Amino acid sequence: MEELRLTPKKMPDVPVEAEVISPDAVSGKTLKDVRALPVYVGNTKRALGDFFKVSGRVAEDASEQLIVVDGEVPDVKYVGAGMTTGRVLVEGCVGMHAGAQMSGGELVVTGSASDWAAAEMKGGLLRIHGDAGNQLGAAYRGSAEGMTGGCIVVGGSVGVEAGAFLRRGMIVIQGDVGSFLGVHMNGGEIFVFGKVSRRIGAEAKGNGGFIACLGEVEALLPTYIHDTTYRPDFMKLYLRQLREELGIERATEFLEASFRRYRGDVAVGGNGEILVAVRE
Amino acid sequence: MSFELNGVEIEDTFAEGFSMWGSRIIITAKNKKWANIAATTMTGFATSVIACDCEASVEREIPPEETPDGRPGTAVMIFGFSKNKLATPMLNRIGQCVLTCPTTAIFNGIPEEEADAMLDIGASLRFFGDGYQVKMRMGDGWLGRQRFWRIPVMEGEFLAEAKFGAIRAVAGGNFLVMGATEDATLEASERAIEAIHTVPGVATPFPGGLCRSGSKVGSRYTFLKASTNTPFCPAIKRTFPDSQVPDGVNCVIEVVLNGLDEESVKRAMAEGIRAAIEVPGVLRITAVNFGGKLGKFQIGLKDALGVE
Repeated sequence: MEELRLTPKKMPDVPVEAEVISPDAVSGKTLKDVRALPVYVGNTKRALGDFFKVSGRVAEDASEQLIVVDGEVPDVKYVGAGMTTGRVLVEGCVGMHAGAQMSGGELVVTGSASDWAAAEMKGGLLRIHGDAGNQLGAAYRGSAEGMTGGCIVVGGSVGVEAGAFLRRGMIVIQGDVGSFLGVHMNGGEIFVFGKVSRRIGAEAKGNGGFIACLGEVEALLPTYIHDTTYRPDFMKLYLRQLREELGIERATEFLEASFRRYRGDVAVGGNGEILVAVRE
Repeated sequence: MSFELNGVEIEDTFAEGFSMWGSRIIITAKNKKWANIAATTMTGFATSVIACDCEASVEREIPPEETPDGRPGTAVMIFGFSKNKLATPMLNRIGQCVLTCPTTAIFNGIPEEEADAMLDIGASLRFFGDGYQVKMRMGDGWLGRQRFWRIPVMEGEFLAEAKFGAIRAVAGGNFLVMGATEDATLEASERAIEAIHTVPGVATPFPGGLCRSGSKVGSRYTFLKASTNTPFCPAIKRTFPDSQVPDGVNCVIEVVLNGLDEESVKRAMAEGIRAAIEVPGVLRITAVNFGGKLGKFQIGLKDALGVE
């Protein structure tokens, strides 16, 4: 892969909107063209080069492009938004909407990500080594569907409304998660290794969607019905996938675990599932 | 015409193979015992399409580290004359023999990129769930897309992959082991089957992989479309006018095999013959064909064994 390096300079007080930090936007361009790519500061159009030192190599094909943001960019929004291929590595924290509506490629954030990361994601892989803010992988207000594909892996904890309106794809949270996880979800899979807060799966419809709680659960809605406690074979497939494809070794601990199966949200006639691992 | 290998006469002839559709199913279960029970039940009464709805057999046991869910598995191969004649028995047999078998799950054994067609087996089995089945999606948008159905059963859940690969396969690979005694011929045939099963993608649908009757097209009775291979029956070698049983041969067993492709069948035949001719008392090896008039494939023994 060809590596393009973006070194943050002094940032303005108002966040920078830089969806051009994407392999699709930079591939096939010269470094000069890349520096001139438009970014927005409030309603002012500026150039990428005003806020980043641009160096390295640009690939002809976006799939061969690696973009390394080698510093903290907590006030830079839309990094990797809409990307379809290639790879973006942020060495530090990143601002809101990182990887929003991305449909392919891989975005890695070694620090934490702010709100709306991977909102309405369609495909690809987002790895956040630190924490993620609110509305991770969620639908934007007014949208009927949130994430429709892809995978989000968060090493730390996550805020509220993660996976709201989730339709397809997978969210893996290795830390704790705030309330309203998977609210309105209608498909897709969510795995949480840490503590799950209240009102998970509220108004979930089902369509094969489930939330697997591998850690503590603060409270379940009364509109989720306990069906059984069993060892579902299908869970082994997911847990092996977590270990083998995403490198989450902790998943192995649950290969032989029993799960309490709850079905809901019956308040909306839903048949989604919450599967809670039984602690031995 | 014949040639000699390890002191055994091998007729320079060919096995006549037929084109069939084949599929491969991986059955997993809590342990090897239940995976094998499901597999053997599912492949019962599936020796030959002469009178069975399909041809099927266990291919091999699969260790847990190679199965999709990490449990012990058994691979089953199944063959039919058309996609429909493959799909129908697959559906029936999985529905009656695997879905019913405790702790089992089924997975596609022929990846989509290798398959000539994909059959909606799990997608049809789901109706056994009577509306309570759950569609399971994996890998959407980031890994290869996979679809399964989770069907509630009294014991728990039956997990079935939605689609199974089907491939234009080869049936009718065969050779005859002709020996001086029943003991020698049976031992040689058993060794042949063991060797054949070292080749992936090969099935031996007859009992233990062996057919002692052989078969020929038609009979003197109008109601019977196939009969024993009388020219190769030693018991009537002096009675049958055109007997092909040589002097000294008192027992003949046919080794029959199907495979996912011609090359696998050819390789398996060679492995089987080489194993068989190691047994003292084996006098001759030949193969059954119809003069090349019926089957699409002609698998020559000389060619399979790599003899110039």
